[in-house]
Amino acid sequence: MSGEECSRGPSAKAASPGKKAASDRLLFKTFFYSFAGFLFLFSAYLFLSNFDQLLVTEAAVKTRELTTWGEDREILNLFAGGFWKDPYFWKSLNLTLMITILTTILASLVGIPTAYALSRYRIPGKTVIEVLFSSMLVIPASSVGLCLIVMFNYGPFWHLQEKLGFRFAHSIFPGMIIASFVLSFALGLSAWKATFDSVNPRFEQVARSLGSSRWRAFRTVTLPMAKSGLAAGIILAWTRAMAEFGAVLFFCGTFRELPPARFSNLERALHIDQADWLSVAIWAQVEYGNVEYGFALAYILVLIGGISVYAMHRIGAKGYIW
Amino acid sequence: MGNGFLARGRWWPAVTISIALAAISFYLLLVLSNWFYLGLADTVYFFSQPRMWQRFWLTVWTSTISMSLSLVIGIPAGYALSRFSFPCRNLFASIVDLPIVVSPAVIGAFLFGITTRFPFDLISEHYNIYIGRNVYGVLLVQFTVTCAFCARLMKASFDMIPPKFELVSRSLGASNFRTFFKVVLPMAKNGILASMIVVWARAAAEWEGLMLFVGASEGETDIMPFAIYLDWNGGMMGWVTSMTIVCILMAVTAMAAMRLIGGKSSVW
Repeated sequence: MSGEECSRGPSAKAASPGKKAASDRLLFKTFFYSFAGFLFLFSAYLFLSNFDQLLVTEAAVKTRELTTWGEDREILNLFAGGFWKDPYFWKSLNLTLMITILTTILASLVGIPTAYALSRYRIPGKTVIEVLFSSMLVIPASSVGLCLIVMFNYGPFWHLQEKLGFRFAHSIFPGMIIASFVLSFALGLSAWKATFDSVNPRFEQVARSLGSSRWRAFRTVTLPMAKSGLAAGIILAWTRAMAEFGAVLFFCGTFRELPPARFSNLERALHIDQADWLSVAIWAQVEYGNVEYGFALAYILVLIGGISVYAMHRIGAKGYIW
Repeated sequence: MGNGFLARGRWWPAVTISIALAAISFYLLLVLSNWFYLGLADTVYFFSQPRMWQRFWLTVWTSTISMSLSLVIGIPAGYALSRFSFPCRNLFASIVDLPIVVSPAVIGAFLFGITTRFPFDLISEHYNIYIGRNVYGVLLVQFTVTCAFCARLMKASFDMIPPKFELVSRSLGASNFRTFFKVVLPMAKNGILASMIVVWARAAAEWEGLMLFVGASEGETDIMPFAIYLDWNGGMMGWVTSMTIVCILMAVTAMAAMRLIGGKSSVW
């Protein structure tokens, strides 16, 4: 090899691969971005393109001329089925928010200690328990609803309800909370457990060696460290409870057409009588033919879901499975 | 007991463990109640019926196809979400995640509107297929629900691989694509397999979207979760409970297989 070649070699080599590497990098990034972009566009298109479903069509107006009477017709022919004029909408929103908040409180009261126990203490059969809880997330919602029906409407639980004089199934107060609790708890538990797993138990051991009790070590050391993860888990549990459909439909059904006497005074006072779970109401309205109304409710659920998932991303929940 | 029990905070482990045991027994009872209800003889009877297995195989092949489609989109999209940084990341990720977090019933309603629109009407006209109340509709619902989910799981499995391996591979002269196929994919293999199983199980569990978008015709679109709803409305409790048992077994087997491979149930 001559001296000239030797001196020229590296610089020439560096110039052309540099260009090549840059174009390679660009191609690489474009390739992967295009798939992520597809997902983004698909999702955005899915939610935005349906906006015209909120507008009332000529055909719907004509149908309602034939089928609906009185003020109802004028309200239903408004934009989005005039959902804001309907007490059913406000009662349903009220009902869903109230029950989901109660469910989330219950799920965190039960779930955070459970996650802590599963994460820290030696419990036999832990693998089986984890498989059980994680499989709850991929059991079909219809199966969950059916399991609840079979569990509460037959056998010992049924006799218990007969003795107590009230029923769990097809009721708002215990029923809806139980139905939305099942999956909300399972999802929240996975998040809380992962949070406690990520906190080093060493700190707690040090606190205990310095003389604090187990409870105090948990409250003053582990809990502050796990705070943001626990908050993300609570948001996750609430979002899942809001997204519940199958279990509520199976276990509770719809309440709109039930007679007022079927509801207790408390339910009437809280304005949650003759109202439905929000996603069940979407189904009922679309099936009934009030498509605009159903889509208005659906957009409200999308808005709620979008805000809570954005909050989760901001808090820094890295990921979760549904 | 007594004083020392309270003062040293021993009550705390006792309380947490008993709450955990209560929760576990509730869920166990929930899952096992169908067996208690149905009994062994009836379980054997319903499991030997061909109607059950037709529905089972329909579920298996539809969810396998939609899982494969989701993987094709999800692996590269997950890699992009995991490695590249871009402005408005949270907003972007939130919109990608929306189909997972809103109720699947809502997804069904929205798909109902989208199939008469731009790309779908051209596709169905050109290939002369109808996407809606048939098995293509089932596949579309399953794909919509699982593809974002798959991307999220893939992002989690790529996040677990430190990026320094890619840097080393690139500094040794491999191209970006070569690095991806020879270094990243083999390292993420277990994660991808585990996510594949979860995505499959999620696709096989899809029902709510089908409720609003597809509807059921017996033997054609009634995958198992939907068949449960149909037969429940028909009052056939034996069929319903036996199919629920199959669904639960499918979910539990999938999750056990995922744990065996070494995936995590939660991706944090």
